[in-house]
Amino acid sequence: MSELHNGGAARELISFRVGAQEFCVDIMAVREIRGWTAATALPQSPSYVRGVINLRGAVLPIVDLAARLGFASAETTARHVIIVAQIGAQQVGLLVDAVSDILTVTDAMVQPTPEVASDTAKAFVRGLIALEGRMISLIGLDHVLPDDELEAA
Amino acid sequence: MDQLAAIRETFFQECEEQLAELESGLLAMEAGATDSETINAVFRAVHSIKGGAGAFGLDELVRFAHGFETVLDEVRAGRLEPTPDALKVLLRAADVLADLVCSARDGGGSVETETSAAELSQLLGGEAGDAAAEDDWGDFEFQPLGAGQTAAAPSAKAWRVTFRPRADLYAKANESALLLRELRRLGEIEVSLDASNLPSLAELDPEAAYLAWTVILTTEREQSAIVEVFDFVDGDCDLSIEEIAEDHAESPIAPTDVGDLDIAALIAKAQSAAPDPGPEAPPTRDAPAARAPEPMTHAAAGATIRVDLERVDRLIDLVGELVINQAMLSQRVLEAGIARASGVAVGLDELEQLTREIQDSVMAIRAQPVKSVFQRMPRLAREVAALTGKQVRLVTEGEATEVDKTVIERLTDPLTHMIRNAIDHGLESPERREAAGKPAEGVVRLSAAHRSGRIVIEVADDGAGINRERVKQIAAERGLIAADAVLSDEETDNLIFMAGFSTASEVSDISGRGVGMDVVRRSIQALGGRISIASRPGKGSTFTMSLPLTLAVLDGMVVTVAGQTLVAPLTAIVETLQPKAADVHSLGGDARVIAVRDSYVPLIDVGQALGYRAAPLDAACGVALLIESEGGARAALLADEIQGQRQVVIKSLEANYRQVPGVAAATILGDGRVALILDIDTIVAVSRGADLARSERRRATAAG
Repeated sequence: MSELHNGGAARELISFRVGAQEFCVDIMAVREIRGWTAATALPQSPSYVRGVINLRGAVLPIVDLAARLGFASAETTARHVIIVAQIGAQQVGLLVDAVSDILTVTDAMVQPTPEVASDTAKAFVRGLIALEGRMISLIGLDHVLPDDELEAA
Repeated sequence: MDQLAAIRETFFQECEEQLAELESGLLAMEAGATDSETINAVFRAVHSIKGGAGAFGLDELVRFAHGFETVLDEVRAGRLEPTPDALKVLLRAADVLADLVCSARDGGGSVETETSAAELSQLLGGEAGDAAAEDDWGDFEFQPLGAGQTAAAPSAKAWRVTFRPRADLYAKANESALLLRELRRLGEIEVSLDASNLPSLAELDPEAAYLAWTVILTTEREQSAIVEVFDFVDGDCDLSIEEIAEDHAESPIAPTDVGDLDIAALIAKAQSAAPDPGPEAPPTRDAPAARAPEPMTHAAAGATIRVDLERVDRLIDLVGELVINQAMLSQRVLEAGIARASGVAVGLDELEQLTREIQDSVMAIRAQPVKSVFQRMPRLAREVAALTGKQVRLVTEGEATEVDKTVIERLTDPLTHMIRNAIDHGLESPERREAAGKPAEGVVRLSAAHRSGRIVIEVADDGAGINRERVKQIAAERGLIAADAVLSDEETDNLIFMAGFSTASEVSDISGRGVGMDVVRRSIQALGGRISIASRPGKGSTFTMSLPLTLAVLDGMVVTVAGQTLVAPLTAIVETLQPKAADVHSLGGDARVIAVRDSYVPLIDVGQALGYRAAPLDAACGVALLIESEGGARAALLADEIQGQRQVVIKSLEANYRQVPGVAAATILGDGRVALILDIDTIVAVSRGADLARSERRRATAAG
C-alpha cells in the first residue's frame, strides 16, 4: 500500500506475462484463472483463436494473446495459463505464459500510451505502468475477439 | 411501479390463456358440445378478462367483455340457443376481444368493436340488447328475462353478506372497496364496518387484514350473482351469504305480505330457467362450501405453477452438465479397467439410467402441447376465408402432442404462412369446387403426432394440388431450372421451396408478401427440422414437417475428421458407405462424385471443407455419410472414421463467440472436450461455391 501517495481511486490489476513483455488487465474483468487444456480448433477462424474449450458446460473461445498482440505464438505447454475474462456479455479465455502479480494502482500511476506506429499497441494498450523498473502495459479487452463479419456487413 | 408492471404482465398472460380457453370452448360448442362444463368455461374466460380489465381501468375492454358476457350468461342459463349463427357471432366477438386485449397490452390503436357489439345485442334481441350496448351497465336491466315485470319487484330479496378479507386477498391486489362497489351494482346495499379486530397503531401490521364488513343487500338477482362478485377472492376471505328471512327494516317487501307473489315468481322462474338451481337453494349456505364442485374441477384441470423460464433453463443446463459428467465418469471407469460386474460398474449403470430419466423429465418441463399454436389458426382461417371468399373448415388433430416451448414459439410463423397458403393457393373457389364435384367447403387439416422421437406436423388441403406445369414454367422463367429440364413430379413440387420462387403473378393480400415457401423451409431447418410436400392433382397437397422434440439435445453421428471429433445430425444422414476407389470419380478440377447405386452424388471431404486439411482425403481410406440436404439434394460427406451414434447436448457457440460457417453448434463429449456439430446444409452449399453461400446468407439476413 506504500505506493498509494498520489491520490486518485485505487484499483486492482492482474499482471501476466506474454513472451518477454508484461501486461495487465483490470481484476474486475477476470472471472477465473485455470491451467491450459487442449482446445478444439474452430474452422474459418483467425489464427489467434486457438479454438474452444469446455468451461463447466459453457463453450469458451480461447484467444492466444501473444498472436493477438502480434508476437510469435509459442508452443503451448502445461505451464501456460488461461485467464477467463468477461467482455461485455461474453466470456473469453486468454492464453498467456504466466500470471505474475496483483497490483494496486491509482489512476495517476497509469501513464498515457506514447505515440507509436504499432497498430496492435493502439488497439489494445490503454496505458503504461512503471513499477519497480518494469514496464507493464494496461490492455483493454474490447477488441480481442474478431469482429463479427455478419454484424459488420 | 415495477410491481404494477409485473401484475399487468401477469394479467395479460392470463388473458392469453383465457382467450385460448374461450376460443377452444366456442369451437367445441360449434362442434356440438352442449355440456355445462364447456359453456361455463367460456363464460368464466370472458368474466375473468372483464374482472382483470376492470382492475386496470381498461374501460373499452370491460365494456365489450361485459356485453359479451351478458350474451354468454343467457346461453349459460339456457335462454339463448347456441345456434351455428350465434356461435359465429360469438367467435367473432372472441376475435375482437383478443384484439382489444392486444391493443390494451401494446398500446396499439383503437379496435373496431361496434359491429361485433351490435351483433351481440342482436342475439339478445330488443331491450336486453340495448342494455348490453349501454355504457352504464350497472343497472337492473339484465335481470333474468323470465322474471316478468310484475314478478320482478316482489322477487327482490334481502341478503346478509358477511365479508372478512384475509391478508392474502390484499396481497393478490384485490380491493375490498371494489368488491363492495360491485355489490352495490346488484341492488341497494347497507354496509356496516366491523373494526373490532383493529389493534392499536403500535401493534398494527400493515400487511395484515383486520377489517370486516356486513352488507345488507336488497337485490332481485340470484344468490349466484352475489357469489360471483367474490369469484376472484374465493379462498382469500371468510364469506357468508344468507338470505334474511325475517322482516327487515330496509327490505321493501315483508315476506308475509307477498307470500303468494313470491311463489308466483318462483314458478315463473322455474319454468323459464329450469336448470338454474337458484330458487331451490337452501336459504343459508356458506359460499365456499356450496361452490366446492367448481373449484374442484378447476384444481383437477390445472394444478400448475408458474415458473420463470430462466429457472427451467438453468435446470436444463445443469442436467446437461450431469449427463456429460456421468459420461466422463463412465469413460474413466472403463479406462481404469474395472470389471463390468464390479459394484462400481453396476452402480454406474444405475446412475446412467437415473441421469437419463432426470434428463427426460427435465426436458418434459419445457414441453408444451402444440395446442397453443394450433389455437391461433382457426381465427386465421376465418379471416383468410373471409378475404378470399372461400369456404373453409379447419380441422385440427393431435393438439395435445407435446414439444419444446421454443419449437412451439418458432412454429407460429411458418404455420401461419402455410395455412394462409393452403387456403389462398391450395383451395379453389366454392364455384370451382362444385364444378369439380367437390363440396363447396374446403377442408384444411392441421395435425400433429409423435413419430420416432420427432414431432410430425402436417398441413393438408383438399384443393386442386400443385399445378406442376405452372410451377415448372415459373421456375424456368426465373432461371431456377433449365427450360428443358426433365423433372420428376416430386422434384417439381419441391421447386416451390427454392429461394427466388415467388409466384408473383398471383400476389394477393394474403399470401403475396414477398415471403415464399423458401422462408418457411428456412425457419423449419433452423429448428433442425425438415419439410416436404406431397401433392395429387385435383385431390390437394400435404406439407409434412418433421421437427426435433427439443432444441437441447440432438441425436448425432460422432465422426473423426483430420484428428478432430465432429458430430453430424443423424436426421440428415440417409446411410453410411464404405467408398471403393472404383466408385469415386473426379469431375472437373478437384470436385469428386461418388456412385451410389447407379446415381452420382457429389463427394465432399469435410476436413477440406472446414479447412482442417488442404489435400483431400483418399476416399478409400474413409467413410462416406450419404446425406440429404435442403430440397432433397443428396451429397456424400467424407470423414476419416465413424466413432458411433450418441445423443449430445447442444451448446451455443454464439454465447461466447460467434457463428462459425459450417458449424451449427457445439457439444461436450464424454472426455470433457468440445466437439463441433456440423451444419450440413452450409457445408454442401460452400462446396458448391463459397460465394453462393455468402450471398445466400446475406439475402437471408436482409429478408429476416
